[in-house]
Amino acid sequence: MLYLAIVFAFVFAPIITSMIFSFNSDRFPTVPLGEFTTHWYETAFSRPEVWEAMQNSLIVALTAATLSTALGFATAYTDYRYNFRFKSAYIALALLPPTIPLVIMGLAMLAWLARLGISGTLTGIIIAHTVMAAPFAMAICRLRLSQMDPALEAAAWNLGASQWRAMRSVVVPFCLPAIVSAFCLTAAVSFDEFVVAWFVSGLNKTVPVVILEILQGNVDPQINAIGTFVFLTSMTLVVVAQLLITRRRKA
Amino acid sequence: MAEPLVRLTDLKKSYGNFEAVKGIDLEIAAGEFIAIMGPSGCGKTTTLRMLAGLEAPSGGEIFIGGERMNDVPAHERDTPMVWQSLALFPFLSVRENVEFGLKMRGLPKRERRERVAVWLERLGLEGFEKRRVDALSGGQRQRVALARSLVTEPKMLFLDEPLSALDAHLVIRMQGVLSKLQKDLGITFVYVTHSQSEAFAMADRVVIMGHGEIVQTGRPKDIFRAPRNRFVAEFVGRNNIFAGTVAGGVINVDGTQLPLPGAADGPAEIVVAADRMTVSLERPNTAALEAEFVSEEFVGTAIICYFEGPGGEELKAQVTERELELLAPEPGKHFFLSWEPDAPHVMAVTS
Repeated sequence: MLYLAIVFAFVFAPIITSMIFSFNSDRFPTVPLGEFTTHWYETAFSRPEVWEAMQNSLIVALTAATLSTALGFATAYTDYRYNFRFKSAYIALALLPPTIPLVIMGLAMLAWLARLGISGTLTGIIIAHTVMAAPFAMAICRLRLSQMDPALEAAAWNLGASQWRAMRSVVVPFCLPAIVSAFCLTAAVSFDEFVVAWFVSGLNKTVPVVILEILQGNVDPQINAIGTFVFLTSMTLVVVAQLLITRRRKA
Repeated sequence: MAEPLVRLTDLKKSYGNFEAVKGIDLEIAAGEFIAIMGPSGCGKTTTLRMLAGLEAPSGGEIFIGGERMNDVPAHERDTPMVWQSLALFPFLSVRENVEFGLKMRGLPKRERRERVAVWLERLGLEGFEKRRVDALSGGQRQRVALARSLVTEPKMLFLDEPLSALDAHLVIRMQGVLSKLQKDLGITFVYVTHSQSEAFAMADRVVIMGHGEIVQTGRPKDIFRAPRNRFVAEFVGRNNIFAGTVAGGVINVDGTQLPLPGAADGPAEIVVAADRMTVSLERPNTAALEAEFVSEEFVGTAIICYFEGPGGEELKAQVTERELELLAPEPGKHFFLSWEPDAPHVMAVTS
């Protein structure tokens, strides 16, 4: 228990510190603390580039989450339902993106999207994030499908449901907690993601990219304010995702 | 002759090199309660799945109501099934589960509600409409599964080991429910099971399958009294099987001469049901096998005694409680087993 507490303290200390300083009136992060203030939030959110980045991040996160969840679910279902040659290669390939170093991924994406003429656009970031997040969605959906009684889908066909109808009225409802959870998690992945976004964003910056730009000039408590906001948004999404996965219905 | 409801001709199914069903022929009449029985892996479930359109046959033909069904997809066949796992939809209420088939057929909501209500009442589930299926007991879920399959009023119902997950006392009760339901509805039940007692208690006709083939078809009583070969006799259970050589109306089993009037000379296998065996303390006047008592087992009101025969084979005899008291068996004690001359049934010898 003690070790666990130490580990948690170690992991969360920087974030908690950042949160505390985001409400501190002093210009520099030093103790003793100054007065409580929301000044940094006000200044940060009064900057047009922050608002624009928020908007971009939101559009990218929601679209990429939708796409990667759909893609992840489809991939997982293919794995569940069909057997074919090279299936293990198919699964390995589908799960590959998170293992690629982010810098390489970012560079490759930049080169590829530039060739397609969409680097620097939101579409470009959405595509990059969809590729990166889809494996997570697939893993979650796959876990849920593995809990599904194989007779369930057959029972739907047996009762007169066509393949599509059975998918819509049985498989998707059964997987719904996983699908929502995958959506939240992929949205969080996209919302947080910096490296690849930095490579491909161009003028359409997302929040993490703007944070770095503010930081490059000077140490500014506004960073703490934006950071706290980003952290809480992602955490909420991840916690919701986690709750949906682990929630067990009482028998 | 009228066209049977279901006709299978030379039906085959193979998975790669494995032949699960090796060309079976079977006719099922309308209104019949038929049990397909066999050990696991005998092809009985595969046959049922082909009937329901969940597996495509590798060869042969399936006719239902005179119509060739081979290429009709599952959802266009009116062949509802009760699954071993029940396969109730866990995210739907009892009503929504039962309603499913009607909804797929596009019935208006009011008619769906009415028919669901009728079936829930019929199966003693009124008041459970809004319950979640995982909040029900095993027996209740069983009845929801039945209601879900029968609400569309099909001509036949397939049941794939539906009682295997239930407690023993519930099994007996559900057997009663199923038998009565089948008689009241007058529709065909095709019941797949590995349980001899379930099949024999309910079915009009039993089909015994082994290694992808039909070994014997007949009324439960006939299969029990006159199994075609050792496989059936062993599968049906509570039978004594003797292998020996017949010469002049007498069979020689491990040196013991037993009368077998009318049997052809040569090697033979005979079967004597446990309830046709007589156990005595003294050697009777008729020919008898001397056997060593091993154990007893209470089966309902009767008792099955197990013995070891002269050749080390297991022998079974059914006795009453009164007889058991008189015999006072103890492990190792010797008894004499005999039977009436008409008790043995001569089987086809399997190599």
